[in-house]
Amino acid sequence: MLRIRPAALGAVLALCAAPAPAQEPPPDPLNSGMWPLVAEENFPGEIVFDPRVKLSLPAAAEDQFHVPVTIDARELAAEIGPIAEMVVAADLNPIIHAVTFRPGAKAEPFLGLRIKVEQTTPVRVGVRGADGIWRVAAAVIDAAGGGCSAPAAAHGQKDWMSTLGEARALAGRDEAGETRISLRMRHPMDTGFAAGIPIFHLSELTLTLDSGEELAELEISAPISEDPAFNLLARPTAGGATAAVAGRDSEGNRFAFSVPLPEEAVN
Amino acid sequence: MNRMKRMSRRAWLGGAAALAASAGAGALIGPIRAQTHAAPRSYRLEAVEIAARTWCVYGAQEDLSRANGGAIANAAFIQTPDGVVVVDTGPSKRYGEALAALIAEQLPGKRILRVFNTHHHPDHVFGNQAFPREALAAPQAVIEAMTAQSEALAANMYRILGDWMRGTVPTPPGRALNASREEIGGRVFTLTEMKGHTACDLVVRDEETGLVFAGDLAFLDRAPTTPNADLPAWRASLAALRRMERDSLLPGHGPVDPQGASLDQTLDWLDWLDGTLREAVARGLTMNEAMAAPIPARFAALGVARTEFERSVVHLRARMEEEILNGIPPDRL
Ligand SMILES: [Zn+2]
Repeated sequence: MLRIRPAALGAVLALCAAPAPAQEPPPDPLNSGMWPLVAEENFPGEIVFDPRVKLSLPAAAEDQFHVPVTIDARELAAEIGPIAEMVVAADLNPIIHAVTFRPGAKAEPFLGLRIKVEQTTPVRVGVRGADGIWRVAAAVIDAAGGGCSAPAAAHGQKDWMSTLGEARALAGRDEAGETRISLRMRHPMDTGFAAGIPIFHLSELTLTLDSGEELAELEISAPISEDPAFNLLARPTAGGATAAVAGRDSEGNRFAFSVPLPEEAVN
Repeated sequence: MNRMKRMSRRAWLGGAAALAASAGAGALIGPIRAQTHAAPRSYRLEAVEIAARTWCVYGAQEDLSRANGGAIANAAFIQTPDGVVVVDTGPSKRYGEALAALIAEQLPGKRILRVFNTHHHPDHVFGNQAFPREALAAPQAVIEAMTAQSEALAANMYRILGDWMRGTVPTPPGRALNASREEIGGRVFTLTEMKGHTACDLVVRDEETGLVFAGDLAFLDRAPTTPNADLPAWRASLAALRRMERDSLLPGHGPVDPQGASLDQTLDWLDWLDGTLREAVARGLTMNEAMAAPIPARFAALGVARTEFERSVVHLRARMEEEILNGIPPDRL
C-alpha cells in the first residue's frame, strides 16, 4: 500500500504535471466534507459544475460490489470541442479514484463501467476539454442495499489465477451508425482492504485501431468492479477494422487481444 | 504516473473525520440519522381464509420498508386434526411473534407441529425464531443457504428496517426434509424441491385441499425478484407447477390464485426480462441505459415493476455478458 502524505503527493504532482494554481473549488451541491480533497486530487485546477456533463447511476446500490455508472459528455463536446479526459471518483471510498478515461479522436466521450462503493457516497465525474477547465457532475449513491438481497459474490474464485485476463468482447453498429464496443476481462480487482489480500488490479487499458489511431486509454484503480466490464462508443470506422486492446495490471501482467469491429450495421 | 491512484488509507480516514466535523455534511448524512430514530411499531396481522382450515397473512405488494416493517411476503397456516402447520414466518422476530399470537388466537390450544420454509430469503424466514425449534423444517439446500448468508442478509434487513428487526436472530431449521410425502398431525402434504427463484425452492401441496404453496416461484400482481434467480430453471419449475394437480395456488407474494394466473404472469415477466436484458447486452448498452428500458403496458398493474426491473439488471448482467460477449483469444505478446 502506498502511503504518500498529501504534502508529498503535492511534490510528486509538481514533478509530473504542470502545477495548477491553487484555488478553492466551488461549493459542493452535495455538501460533502470530502469535496475539497476529492477536487484537489482528482480535478486539479479550475472547476465548474456543469449540467451538460451526464452522470447516470442508480439512487441505491443493489450490490455494493457492482454499481453501474455511465458517463456521457457528448452534449458538452458538441459545444466545447474534443474532450481530453473524464475522471470518475467516489468521495467516501477508501480509494477515491475509480477511472480516468481519455477518448481518442475516434471515440465518443462516453463510457459505461461498474464500481465498488464502501458506503453511501457522492460519486463524481470531471470532464476536461482543451481549455483545461474541469466540468463536474455529481450524485449520491445510497449503499444501504435493497430487500431480498444476496451478499456479493466472494472476492476471487478458487481458480481465478488460471483465467486472469481472459477477455470477452462484442462490437456492433447502433442506430446512429456508431460502433458500440463491450469489453469484459477476468480480474479480481482486489482493493487491498480485505484482510490478507494485497491490492491487485487491472491498471491500464488502451484501445488502438489498426490504422494506428488511438481509440481510448483508461487508467484504472481498484474500485472498478471485479471482472471489469466497459461499454465504449466509437465513431464510424472503415469496414473490417480491428481494435487492438492492450492491458496491464498492478503486478505488471500484460494482456493483449483484438476485437473485430463491424462492417455492417447490426440493427 | 497516476496521481489519482495514490490515495492512502490514512488520507481517507483523515477525510472521513473532516466529513463528520463538517456542518455541511448534514445534507449527506441527515437522512440516515432520521431513519435510525424511527419509532417502534407493531405488526397488525390479519388471517384470511383461503381454503378449508387454511389461512393466509398477506404481505404488502411493496418493497421492504420502514413503513411496512418488511411484511411483504405471504405467510400461511393450516389446521390439522392434531395441531398447526405453518408455511413461512415473515421478516423479523417481532413478525414471527405476531404470527404465532394470531395463530394462538385463531386456533386456541393448538400446538405448532411443523413450520416449512419455502426458501432462504429473509422476508420469508426471519420470523423462525418465534416458533418451536423442533418444528422448523426445510430442504437441506435451503438450510445451507440460510446458514451461509444469514449474517449478510441480517445486516441488510437491519439497515433497511431498523427497529422492526430488534432482537431478530436468523434461525435456520434444524430439520432437513427428505421425504416427498409427509403426514403431519393427521393431514398429508406432498413436498417437491424445485429451483429457479433460488437454488432451492420448496413447493408444499396440501393433499386435503389441493392447495399448492408455491413460495416465490410464483408472484401475482407484483414484479418477481431475482437476486438468486436462474431463469431457465425457474421457467422449468413454472412448467412443473402448471402440470401439478391443484385446486388452487398460493404465490409467495400476491393473492391466492385458483386459476394459476400467477404462473402465466411470472413466466411472462421472466421471458420479457430475459429478452430485454439480453438485447441490451447484445446491443452494447451500458447497465444504466438498460435500466431505462420501457416496461410494457401489460405489466403496468404490477407492484414495484420499475424497481424490480432495475434490480434485475444488476443481478443478471454479468451472467448474460459471459454468455453473449464473444470469448477472445489473447494476442501473442
Ligand atoms: Zn424470495
